[in-house]
Amino acid sequence: MAHQAHAYHMVDPSPWPLTGAIAALLMTSGLAVWFHQHSMILMAIGTVLMLLTMYQWWRDIVREGTFQGHHTPPVQKGLRYGMILFITSEVFFFLGFFWAFYHASLAPTPELGGCWPPTGIFTLDPLEVPLLNTAVLLASGVTVTWAHHSMMGGDRKQAIQSLTMTIVLGFYFTVLQAMEYVDAPFTIGDGVYGATFFVATGFHGLHVMIGSIFLAVCLLRQIKHHFTSGHHFGFEAAAWYWHFVDVVWLFLYVSIYWWGS
Amino acid sequence: MYYKFSGFTQKLTGSAPTAAYSPQGLRPGVPAEAPPMIFASPTKLVSEAKTVEYAVTNRVPDLQKLFQIPDGVPIHLKRGVPDRLLYRTTMALTIGGTLYCLVALYFAAQPNKK
Repeated sequence: MAHQAHAYHMVDPSPWPLTGAIAALLMTSGLAVWFHQHSMILMAIGTVLMLLTMYQWWRDIVREGTFQGHHTPPVQKGLRYGMILFITSEVFFFLGFFWAFYHASLAPTPELGGCWPPTGIFTLDPLEVPLLNTAVLLASGVTVTWAHHSMMGGDRKQAIQSLTMTIVLGFYFTVLQAMEYVDAPFTIGDGVYGATFFVATGFHGLHVMIGSIFLAVCLLRQIKHHFTSGHHFGFEAAAWYWHFVDVVWLFLYVSIYWWGS
Repeated sequence: MYYKFSGFTQKLTGSAPTAAYSPQGLRPGVPAEAPPMIFASPTKLVSEAKTVEYAVTNRVPDLQKLFQIPDGVPIHLKRGVPDRLLYRTTMALTIGGTLYCLVALYFAAQPNKK
């Protein structure tokens, strides 16, 4: 039986990169077909394929790491670099939307009334639900750190409890934000104010949902004894992502909700 | 010279005494003597457990044995039937979807005759 003489992970041949690429093709061409031929079938197939790919690819990574032991320290280092670089790319993604907001708000055009907020826009009170949302996300940052320390200290019960609390807080934020969206006195179509507000906070909300799902998967894995006190990188990656989501909200709150009101 | 464990690079790096590596953390140190040996503990009923979630038995060692069977089966099919089912469904959608996409794009590229 051949054994590798190195600590790196030579991955088994996998179909998921192909299915993922095809999913991207079907989603994008499906979008175009939806726009011009009013049929959502192609886009739906693409979305289902994307979800199947994500589930199976990440399931395989859990199998390779937790059950086959391939995630040696050098491999884990690579995974850490990967997650940091991915989060960095997401930072740049949000930077673009903040650029749009500041471009529009620092020099408001005559069409807006030469002022910010533009004439006719009734902004949300930053000291009401948005402030509560800030408190909720900050608290979730505390609970996720609590979960990490519990995990490192081998305290299974507290890790499960604090991770559950983090997910509940994330869910609470999403519900509050959804209620704000429904009751907002302006829409995405209300000029550059509405556009920057809903696109920036909308993408943030999407990232909160993604982060909550990531944490929920970690909770499931923690319950199933996948994590040890010394090796739980999946959870660390989820915690890093969650802190990133929290920081983006703080920038959103200060820039759009507070300064922009 | 004090050292700390850099979580990012996974190596020891120099540090100030306040940030130095302290494996025991802030909890009291482990006692020097071994805990009393228990040779047989009464089996705990699931209903006795404080909450359901903590009573999940640790199946990781069994799964480790399963996934390390040297049969040459790739990781995405290692579990047998459920893996094969999901893989075939995914592949069917991939190939079917690609063909549907090419057909849709062919028709979309036709000029609009009025």
